[in-house]
Amino acid sequence: MKKIHFNKHWMAKAGVVFLLTALLASCDWIDTEYNIDPDAPGDVPMALLLPGIQQSIGFAVLGNDAARPTNIWMQYYDGVARQSYTQGRYQILPADVNNYWGTVYTDALINAKILLDKAEAEESPHNAGVAKVLIAFTLQIATDLFGDIPYTEALKGTDNVLQPVFDSQQSIYSTIFTLLDEAVGNLGAGDEPVGISGDVIYDGDADAWINAARALKARAELQLSKRNGSSAYSNALALTDAFGSIADDMLVPFEGANPNPINQFMVERGDVRMNQTFLDELEATGDPRIPFYFGEDNDGEISGSPTGQQDETASPPGSYLASQTSPIVMMSYAELKFIEAEAALQTGAGERAVEAYKAAVAASLEQVTGEVDADWMAANIDGENASTLTMEDIMMQKRAALVGQVQPFADWRRTGFPVLSLAPDATQTEIPRRYPYAQDEIIYNPDNIPAVGSVIVPVWWDQ
Amino acid sequence: MKRFLFVLSLLMFAGFSLFAQGEEITGNVTNAEDGSPLPGVSVVVQGTTIGSVTDFEGNYSITVPDDQVILMFSFVGMVTQEVALEGRTVINVMLEPSTTAIDEVVVTALGMTRAEKSLGYGVQSVESEQISTANTSDVINAISGRTAGVTITSSSGSPGASVFMTIRGSASITGNNQPLFVVDGMPIVTGRGGTMTTARTGTSVGGTGNSSRSIDLNPEDIASMTVLKGGAATALYGLRAANGAIIITTKSGAAGRQKMKVDFHTSVGFEQVSQLPARQDKYTQGNLGAWGSGNAFSWGPNVDTMYYDGDEDYKWDPYGQLVGQNDPSATSRKAEIYDAYDFFQTGVTYNNRLSVTAGNENASYFFSIADLEQTGVVPNSKFGRTNVRLNSSARLTNWVKISTNLAYTNSRATQIQQGSNTSGVMLGLLRTAPTFDNSAGYIFPDGTQRNYRNGGGYDNPYWTANMNEFTDNVNRFIGNAILNFTFTDWFSASYNIGLDTYGRQGTDIIAVYSRTKPQGALEEWSGNSMQVNSDLLLNFHQSFGDLDLALTLGHNMFSTNTYSVYGDAIGLEIPEFYQLSNSSDNTTGVGRWGYRTMAVFGDLQLAFKDMLFLGATGRNDWSTTMPEQNLSAFYPSVSLGFVFTELGALQGNSILSFGKIRGSWARTANIATPYNTTNYFFSAGSGDGWVSGVTFPYLGTTGFEVGGQLGNPDLRHETMDSWEVGADLRFLNNRLGVDVSYFNNLNTDLLLSVPIAESSGYNSTYLNAAEMESKGIEISANARILDGNFKWEILANFTKMTNTVLSLAEGVESIFLGGFTVPQTRAVAGNEYGSIYGNDWYRDPESGAVLINDDPSDAYRDGYPMTDTRQMVPIGDVNPNWTANITNTFSLYGVRLSFLVDIRNGGWMYNGTGFAMNYFGVHERTENRDVYYTSEGTIDFERTPEENLVVFDGVYGHVDADGGPVSSGVDNVTPVVLDDVWFKGFGSNFGGGPSVAAMEPADWVRLREVTVSYTFPTQGDIFQFAELYFTGRNLLLWTPYSGIDPETNLQGAVNGQGMDYFNMPGTKSYTVGLKLTF
Repeated sequence: MKKIHFNKHWMAKAGVVFLLTALLASCDWIDTEYNIDPDAPGDVPMALLLPGIQQSIGFAVLGNDAARPTNIWMQYYDGVARQSYTQGRYQILPADVNNYWGTVYTDALINAKILLDKAEAEESPHNAGVAKVLIAFTLQIATDLFGDIPYTEALKGTDNVLQPVFDSQQSIYSTIFTLLDEAVGNLGAGDEPVGISGDVIYDGDADAWINAARALKARAELQLSKRNGSSAYSNALALTDAFGSIADDMLVPFEGANPNPINQFMVERGDVRMNQTFLDELEATGDPRIPFYFGEDNDGEISGSPTGQQDETASPPGSYLASQTSPIVMMSYAELKFIEAEAALQTGAGERAVEAYKAAVAASLEQVTGEVDADWMAANIDGENASTLTMEDIMMQKRAALVGQVQPFADWRRTGFPVLSLAPDATQTEIPRRYPYAQDEIIYNPDNIPAVGSVIVPVWWDQ
Repeated sequence: MKRFLFVLSLLMFAGFSLFAQGEEITGNVTNAEDGSPLPGVSVVVQGTTIGSVTDFEGNYSITVPDDQVILMFSFVGMVTQEVALEGRTVINVMLEPSTTAIDEVVVTALGMTRAEKSLGYGVQSVESEQISTANTSDVINAISGRTAGVTITSSSGSPGASVFMTIRGSASITGNNQPLFVVDGMPIVTGRGGTMTTARTGTSVGGTGNSSRSIDLNPEDIASMTVLKGGAATALYGLRAANGAIIITTKSGAAGRQKMKVDFHTSVGFEQVSQLPARQDKYTQGNLGAWGSGNAFSWGPNVDTMYYDGDEDYKWDPYGQLVGQNDPSATSRKAEIYDAYDFFQTGVTYNNRLSVTAGNENASYFFSIADLEQTGVVPNSKFGRTNVRLNSSARLTNWVKISTNLAYTNSRATQIQQGSNTSGVMLGLLRTAPTFDNSAGYIFPDGTQRNYRNGGGYDNPYWTANMNEFTDNVNRFIGNAILNFTFTDWFSASYNIGLDTYGRQGTDIIAVYSRTKPQGALEEWSGNSMQVNSDLLLNFHQSFGDLDLALTLGHNMFSTNTYSVYGDAIGLEIPEFYQLSNSSDNTTGVGRWGYRTMAVFGDLQLAFKDMLFLGATGRNDWSTTMPEQNLSAFYPSVSLGFVFTELGALQGNSILSFGKIRGSWARTANIATPYNTTNYFFSAGSGDGWVSGVTFPYLGTTGFEVGGQLGNPDLRHETMDSWEVGADLRFLNNRLGVDVSYFNNLNTDLLLSVPIAESSGYNSTYLNAAEMESKGIEISANARILDGNFKWEILANFTKMTNTVLSLAEGVESIFLGGFTVPQTRAVAGNEYGSIYGNDWYRDPESGAVLINDDPSDAYRDGYPMTDTRQMVPIGDVNPNWTANITNTFSLYGVRLSFLVDIRNGGWMYNGTGFAMNYFGVHERTENRDVYYTSEGTIDFERTPEENLVVFDGVYGHVDADGGPVSSGVDNVTPVVLDDVWFKGFGSNFGGGPSVAAMEPADWVRLREVTVSYTFPTQGDIFQFAELYFTGRNLLLWTPYSGIDPETNLQGAVNGQGMDYFNMPGTKSYTVGLKLTF
């Protein structure tokens, strides 16, 4: 062994190292508190959840991915370039609806579910009622597009249910009815002092939400007309008093800083134009809504792109559909009156049908143009009576009123109106009757996803 | 818990309180060949970080802890010598030239210098000379093609473009796969090199490029760069070096009696575009054979039949509209074809560097200042960098030395909108009809835009380059201080504390009337990053006869934090006035992120008779990002090196002059990223992938929504088990050397955000889930073919590896890494990491042959294939089969010629650029479009040019009512024409064509670098050294790939590689430089 040389300053030298060590030891270096995200809260109050859900429903659940392809298929719009043209040829891939499927579940439904859980925990029946209306609404939009969808096991990621089973469309519809009925009950209960706050649709008015729940139930009942026949009509008819005027319309508003989705699409991508088919229908009567539905084309005129002809010079969607502040319609007085007209006609109440039909068209004119053009009404609508009014009259006027919305695609599947021709160079043998399931759901929930042959296979209520 | 850790640290010091004086050794080092003095030779006390460098006369002085140490003398190109002091105070050494650059002392983990032959794992070094003359602005590019096992991909040739680098493949699925960079012992930030995506104005496939922060280093400051590849090499860095490590040592002054030395290096470089897709030049803008003003397509009439009408009121073209030759308004001016690629300019790079070194007995200094100014091939793209560095070292007493390395960088970039973005410069440029002249003006007097779509569609590339700037300014300081204590002959300690901090300021401008945001937009953001590292090392060294033992115990603390604040404005009231107040639509936000780690570790090295080397390490890490019960992880490594030529029988063998076999095993770990243990709420908003979307505040309210990711309180560390065997053999007196490694890395419990069915209410959950394996062989060879006045040396590297995803989470077959809705780069279980995933053709289920439609009654065209849209499938692997590079160096007197050839075999790339150009009718392959039909509707073979006829490879078949394929098994012989219907249909992405049709092999052979230099005979007292050189990079490229240079990537330095969608072009460069030392 080597001999060790002692040094008289060794204590001082060692002291330096001990000082360093003390320095290192003097702070609480490893602390799990450090792993809490400083920029994101772990919990938020109900009033801050509600507007986000409503915005998502307006912008995304009803926005581009639901409204635009179906409005192209219904020949309101023509897809004149890129992906919109492809959609116009009826190609819609599982990957194309990934974003949309995510919007429905991870944006609208999960937050509405969290709102509902909170409302129940905090004993706020009004907030619970609003949450149920929004859940029911979103479920119906989704099931009408996709058919069977998950609900009973869905939205339970925090309980480690990562691959929910799919519920039949039939059971989804009964869930929708239950939720809307419960919502009416909840909203009718006293709710002091919590109240509904952050509500951009009805500003916290519980009675307005009761009316909306009933109106939505009328739509859902009618949607099952192919399945339920007369009971669908009579059930719907009992609810058509829910709205009294266009002031009751259920609208998601937009603003300059957060513009309407079709407005954003036209500004940023611009690949659709108004369709000649729809223009022909309106021009047949010189419809006063034309300048509101159709913007000016390249020549300052109004024109349509014939289906599949990719006429980029034709009119873009007009100010009613595509201005920054155009609201997205969740449910309208006009639609409810059309529901009444159809249900009444189908149940033999011809006079009621005629009155409702006239009120519906007038409501649409007022909603779209700001006034009711009495001359046009007299020339085209007012002359109808119980013996002349047909389903086609009602459905074609309903179609003219609901442009830009998702419901006309359901009405077409239900009633066959309007009668549409297949687009040129179609990739399908028929116009699609549903959306495919989303690619990610196919990949990540493979055991539960139902096998659907193609997009021309009808959903349950369409069979 | 915390207290316990520090008690543990304290324990490490118990009992060490015995110290001795150091001793000063001096001497002289000369070249054994000619007796000339050797300056710059590294003199290191073996097993420690104590070192010195010889001055211009070859003199050195070094203070050693006692007289029993071994000094190692090493110099590039010389055989390292180890000399035992044995009581002497003057040691003169003669160094022999070596064949190989790897017969050297290398810097390994934690800055420890070791003789390479003692290592039980493979490392590779890159010489400072090579880095310096490569003249790349990002130092990583200079390594390209110089090593084995290292993959480097530039996102593009744009100034300041990011660079993607992996060592021995990828170890993480969705996390960071880039190696750790350590500069003088300080781990630095090098990443953040993806596409710049902003809150409301960009997407991950559009936006602008974004530099990798490795670009902040001054390549000229680098003295040595070591690539640590395997787990055993990086085990001491613990969890941060799971992807390998790059150990950089910057230059320092020489201690001892050194005169001041000044180095000056200036260069000017010129850059050009390397490869662009070919465009057709026969057909005008328009559709269905008719000219159309503002039309998106170039499916118009043949240009030879068209004339300008001379209409001066027509503002889109200076000569008016196009009409047929028989039109009454036709003038005599024929329609013109414009070369879109005239848009590109020659980029220029000016690079000036000055450094000063000096030293005396007690102190040494290295000071450098450098400036780089670069303009790119796209007008107005720019990068600039200013570096200042001061490295100094002083001996305070005979037992304490203090060193500081201080570096300041200012990096400034101007990036142009790119990629899938209606303002993307390449998108507008390549889609432009050949009859539209973008350069004839991009702005009208009223401020609106002139572009080929008559104001719609895409930005004129000149508009984007001139109006839409993204500027980025980084001020960065990297510095550290090192205290070295020499207590006794067998015990020393060092303490290294450093920080890397930078402030980054960015402004992203979208001018009013730009296509991506016609109302204009501005985003301002400012952020800072702070990384602090503290290393305390205790070194023990003792020899027992033939056995030499070195033990290092250490303690590390590390923290990293970022803070950023941003504000945006959408809809600018006053055009071209860029201030957030110039809009009523603002959002603002703050982002914070950070974590801390701590570790204790030990490293034991045993050497027996300079023949057998055993190393073992152990490290325990604690991290704040892990849940409380799993804060800590321990991992060991062992390595063994056996220099069998030291065995008696093999000693002095001139055929096999050196031989070593080595093997190592290591387990390393990695931690979760921060904030993944629980769920959070975020500011609400909604988008749909088409448009900017909506955010909060909304209608005057704030709003929140639950985050898409489920947190996980049960996270564990991910683990990598790696082993490696290798051999280092040198023949014929070291004239020929071969180094072979086989490595195998198995990564288990990989942490990743696993996508889940969104019907669960969440889109992902953070899990320990995946398993990945990377294995391969690396061969490096060198040969000194000719000596004497005319020298010829060859250095070559070969890598073949596979990087396989063994499994992902349960029920998860693949995970998104990057790309589009279709296609995407994904990690697919069972496949190599990085598969392109997209739609395929309908195929014969038996043979896999493409089905060619034979059913006249369906909606598909007969004689053409059909897209199978039922689901996406893997359609190509982005990884090469093997890569190789060869550098030949010739020198004669002062002239040196070196060329580096870089080869990549295999790997696929998505040519989305070409696929989209098909749709618009601008790609060269759309040129053979003319077809004539008979009255029966069949092709008129008399009139249709024969070269326009094609027969698709495949078998006849069709699609049944359920969307399934039905094959006849009969080979297709039907001739068809690739006309506009085809290219606007399944022949392009927009027409619904399958991504597989755009997959192309991305093999290449490229002349990566050519250097010719001339060293002037020494000019007396004026110059010590003078060299003039020329460097060319990427001068030649041979590739079957028809898109933009396959060495680019849409999203930049991200895991989603292999995507070309209107990428910024790659470049080739020519640089002339002068180096002077005086």
